Amino acid sequence: MNSGAGIYFDGVTSARHDVVVALTQSGLQISNPDGHVQAEWPYNEIEGLTAPDSVLRLGRRGSTVLERLEIRDPALAAQIDARAVHVDRAGALQRRQRIRVIGWSVAATTSLLLVAWFGMPAIAARLTPLLPAGIEGKLGEAVDMQIRGMLLAPKDGTTPDCGASPSETAGRAALDKIVRRLEAAAGLPHPLRIDVVRRDAANAIALPGGHVYVFSGLIAKADNADEVAGVIAHEIGHVANRDGTKALIQGAGLSILFGMLLGDFVGGGAVVYGARTLLQSSYSRETETAADAYGAGLMNKAGGNTYAMAAMLDKIGGATEPGMKILLDHPETKARVAAIRKLAGNQAPSAFLDAGEWAALKQICAGRP
Amino acid sequence: MTSSDADGHATGGGVRFLGQRPPYWRLLARGAALLMVTLGIYRFWLATDVRRFLWSNTEIAGEALEYTGTALELLIGFLVAIAILIPVYTAIFLAALDLGILGKLSGVMGFVALGVLGQYAIYRARRYRLTRTIYRGLRFHQEGSAWAYAFRAVLWWIVTALSLGLAYPFQLASLERYKMRNTFYGSLAGGFDASGLRLFVRGLPMWLLVFAPLALAVSGFIGIDWKAFADAVAQGGDDAMSKIEGSNPGLGAVIVFAMLMGSVSVTLAAILYPAFQAMVLRWWSSGLCFGTIEVRSRLSTRRVYGAYARFVGYALLFSITMGIVGSVALLAVAAVGGTSRFGAQGEIAATLAALVGYVITALGFSTIYRATVLLSLWQLGMESLQLSGLSALDKVKATGRPSSAVGEGLADALNVGSY
Repeated sequence: MNSGAGIYFDGVTSARHDVVVALTQSGLQISNPDGHVQAEWPYNEIEGLTAPDSVLRLGRRGSTVLERLEIRDPALAAQIDARAVHVDRAGALQRRQRIRVIGWSVAATTSLLLVAWFGMPAIAARLTPLLPAGIEGKLGEAVDMQIRGMLLAPKDGTTPDCGASPSETAGRAALDKIVRRLEAAAGLPHPLRIDVVRRDAANAIALPGGHVYVFSGLIAKADNADEVAGVIAHEIGHVANRDGTKALIQGAGLSILFGMLLGDFVGGGAVVYGARTLLQSSYSRETETAADAYGAGLMNKAGGNTYAMAAMLDKIGGATEPGMKILLDHPETKARVAAIRKLAGNQAPSAFLDAGEWAALKQICAGRP
Repeated sequence: MTSSDADGHATGGGVRFLGQRPPYWRLLARGAALLMVTLGIYRFWLATDVRRFLWSNTEIAGEALEYTGTALELLIGFLVAIAILIPVYTAIFLAALDLGILGKLSGVMGFVALGVLGQYAIYRARRYRLTRTIYRGLRFHQEGSAWAYAFRAVLWWIVTALSLGLAYPFQLASLERYKMRNTFYGSLAGGFDASGLRLFVRGLPMWLLVFAPLALAVSGFIGIDWKAFADAVAQGGDDAMSKIEGSNPGLGAVIVFAMLMGSVSVTLAAILYPAFQAMVLRWWSSGLCFGTIEVRSRLSTRRVYGAYARFVGYALLFSITMGIVGSVALLAVAAVGGTSRFGAQGEIAATLAALVGYVITALGFSTIYRATVLLSLWQLGMESLQLSGLSALDKVKATGRPSSAVGEGLADALNVGSY
């Protein structure tokens, strides 16, 4: 029978007991130097615990009393290691556990990415129709407040809205004429709100709830009214598909998915931001194509010139700088232009505005600089 | 039958750190690699490994500490925290949509709510760590209310912010008193008797050194004619800058002076930071007690600077390596892709590569920081301790039960976690 010295803590008081540890057939016998047996631990109930390299620290598995036995004699420690299943000084158990953890984490990561890629658009598409119009309207107003605060804020504090001052009302009337014709053809359940704002970029945006902003830069770049009408038709497509609301839900979902699960490891913030940008631009590719199709159909129905819509898109898309493609909401312009041309009807288009009205629309932001 | 600390292993009431640097580096490097592969999920296992290493290599009066927490507990705590936080975030989001006064205040209210929750999490995370800390077969534990602590802590943070940091020593003393009076080793009650005033007096010269340049910068602006400045800004136009210049000929010089003073202040703060950290750690350690066991610290400021110097050295080495690797990768990509047309696919790939590069860099710096500064602070902090009255250790009784890891999870989800 082997035996050696050990240090024993009974888990009831902090007193330290110098003990004699004997290896019996079935377990460890822990006794005082005077021979009084303190405890007997069967081998299969012993577990190895973390300790400095020079110490073998043992406890009892599943015990609520924190009994501890410490062995500092390497030979005795090796013998116990050999007999007790749950003592693992070489770390084989730990290694196996770690490999399992890595396997599951990789699986979790993969499923996270799959949910982000396929699940989020699907969830947003299912949730959006369930959202009552009242809440969508509130969402729209909140986004409107933000957009007006940041994107549209002119430098000198004047209002960004065009079409209100006396010299602009004729332009506003021309815009309304285009909108009325498109709205009649679209037959949406809610009235549209379309405004022109002073902004140099050739762009237009549709907010949740159906508010559309056309930038003055777009009108400046257009050569005729049908080109402007084409862009508005595209934006009405976003309104009809409720893309603004979908994008909000997707953004919130992705923030939760990546932001919370990734937690605070260094560089996590950048991963969240990058993943969101990449994923949202990939979603937007599909929504833009869908809005193009809707817009082309609407132009056909309203008797407008769908080719003008394609031409306008070509003009806006061509002007963007290289290197910005993934940050751009309107990617792969050439393919989209071709797709719209294919959708154009073969009836003879009638112009949206006459020459006088078109000239007035061009002046819709002329009232004040 | 009990024996005293006269055992061959004890070092006469001192504290020793037995950990070697190479295994700790290996542990951290492997952890960083796995963090990246698992998008951060591995952090629960890394945190547990780090604590096991630090605890089990810290020997007090001849007996090493033991950390019994598991990564699975942390993971579950984190999942519970997410379940708690999602409704909170949803409420803040919905409040922000309100167009009335609620919407305008939602940002502030959300900030305060998350601040309180963060302090609550810190207290509960401390409880988890204490109840997973075993020494001589007995568990540490923590009583007291996490909410009471959270409100106290948030109020103190507000006071400290309003006093430009002057109240910080008193905040530390008050919060530490609350924590330590509720901390127990078995039946032995903890305490904290360091005085905030003493830390204030010692820290005041540093505060003055950092804030004096800022005060000088601000005083430079006193001579400015703000009305003329505001008029010039309000009028706007292309000549706004020249009008501003005209109304206040000295403005340019004042701005340059302010920027100079600002950078002097930041530089001084960076240089003084290790000394500040050493001072606070020394003060804090010397205030700790458990029953009749008293603690004194003689932490050397010079050695804390040494830890930071090692960090700077390794970080420079790492930066140079990353720079070389990055340039080679860039050249390789240019050589391969130079002839082909870059589509959106190519840009997505480039963005992903940049993202991976950024994460590697960030994880590298964090690993170096943990292996140099944090490890050294732990080691130096522990080894500088002088314990007295250790005979009390022979008759402490077991009390306290393990607590859940929800606090750790909240701290993790709210980014207020530490070790």
